[in-house]
Amino acid sequence: MRNIALGRYMPLKSIVNDMDPRAKLVILFVLMIAIFIPAGFWGYLPIALFILAALKLSKLSISFAMRSVKPMLFMMFFLTVINVLVVKTGVLWFQLGWFTIYSDAVIQTAYIIIRLTLMIILTTILTATTKPLDLTLGIEKLLKPLEAVGVPAHIVAMMISIALRFIPTLIEETQRIMNAQASRGVDLENGTLKEKITAVLALIVPLFVSAFDRADQLANAMEARGYDPNKTRTRYKTLKMANADYAGMFLAVAVLLLNIVLWKTGL
Amino acid sequence: MSIEIKNLEHVYSAGTPFEHKALNGINLSIPEGKVTAVIGQTGSGKSTLVQHLNGLLLPTAGSVDIAGHHIESGSKPKNLKSLRKDVGLVFQFPEYQLFEETIEKDIAFGPKNFGDTPEQAAEKAKNIITKVGLDESYLDRSPFELSGGQKRRVAIAGILVQDPSILVLDEPAAGLDPQGAQEMMSLFMNLNKEQNKTIILVSHDMEHVLKYCDEVVVLENGNVKIQTDVKEFFKHPEWMRDIGINPPGIVQLKEQLTAKGYDIDPDIFDLEELAGQLKGQVA
Repeated sequence: MRNIALGRYMPLKSIVNDMDPRAKLVILFVLMIAIFIPAGFWGYLPIALFILAALKLSKLSISFAMRSVKPMLFMMFFLTVINVLVVKTGVLWFQLGWFTIYSDAVIQTAYIIIRLTLMIILTTILTATTKPLDLTLGIEKLLKPLEAVGVPAHIVAMMISIALRFIPTLIEETQRIMNAQASRGVDLENGTLKEKITAVLALIVPLFVSAFDRADQLANAMEARGYDPNKTRTRYKTLKMANADYAGMFLAVAVLLLNIVLWKTGL
Repeated sequence: MSIEIKNLEHVYSAGTPFEHKALNGINLSIPEGKVTAVIGQTGSGKSTLVQHLNGLLLPTAGSVDIAGHHIESGSKPKNLKSLRKDVGLVFQFPEYQLFEETIEKDIAFGPKNFGDTPEQAAEKAKNIITKVGLDESYLDRSPFELSGGQKRRVAIAGILVQDPSILVLDEPAAGLDPQGAQEMMSLFMNLNKEQNKTIILVSHDMEHVLKYCDEVVVLENGNVKIQTDVKEFFKHPEWMRDIGINPPGIVQLKEQLTAKGYDIDPDIFDLEELAGQLKGQVA
């Protein structure tokens, strides 16, 4: 429960840590598009290189990045099985009785797995190098122009930051309730299906009750201090782009353009 | 028999950047049938220690012998369920563990997990509810419509109904009004006196420790700093100040009187007796 690499901020001193969160978000967004451009396997090379460089610059280890992919391994395995069973086009590569593997199934699965891995690592770099508060500030600033068409940028950012703020609290709470119920003889590992369902209920119900309690208290506390989401406010922290930010965004766009060229020319 | 804790160590998140050693080789012998207070500042390892007593946490090194169960590092204890039945653990703010539709069902939850039939469990729930100061009419109500103090009683009933021989209480009176806190504490003390249950009380309230406990264990940075009987402990107000706790009123009063030159018997912890002793000295 406590060893989740995905989404955890690592307080390291690095160039990427110091970058403007807006720049990092833009880079993430541009590279996400690049990942989905069907430029063939070669198209992933520049993206992978970019990610490797980003990992290096943010002083994160490759093993840390791989650890963040771990929770998705099950899903990737599941996808592979489904694809192999469903996709029956391309060249027949393997046959054993009714069981067949076609080339398209393998290639499509490989695409999905590469895409997923790249996306997860990218997001992990972002969350590992950016404090949640800076991240939401970045999101708010990027959404700001959309306020003209009715997007409530500040409210969205506030909701995200509150949600992020309460993730550790809820994990702690879950642990606490699990301990309390274990003391009352709940056994989450063994037991029949019916017992397990009761065990999960004994966890979920108190968790919901306390989450709603907390939400209520937070709302009251915010109102008591005169919070009004529609007021204009100044910021203690102002964001400023530096050379590293421009360089990063430039490279990301270059990677995207390269992929578009690869796709259009069909190399 | 007593609870024997030998060289107990516990390390959280071992092998990650968040590694944290919470217990540093603790040796303790806690007498059975008595009330022992565990005190110490936040982060001193109290919660980690009490979670070892019913196997919620397992030792990184060392061993715990409790109520006939042996817990050692490196191996999973054999009969975890019966350990948890024998050692009842009441967490801080236990009202947050309520979840059933009715109070009866919630109290019966533990016994059912420990192997009672629904009928037996319901019978036990009926017997225990009056013990915590609520009457049987509460059994059919939802625990979520009760007040905070009543919820706490129901949650504690949910542990007491298991009839544990050792009861571990983590700040059972926190957040209750003085009257409620006193009722709660006398309930536990009756269990100790009438049924000879061992009680381990984690508390920040020195008045409670002085009034109800026999032994005191002080933890600091994952080590046992002091283990002594309660009278000896309260003869040394400086020990309490060392760990950032204010001594109880009577101890402070004795300190001030002694500083003024009155001759006070260090064994007195009762206001009446103190007054009696002063009577002779005030001209």
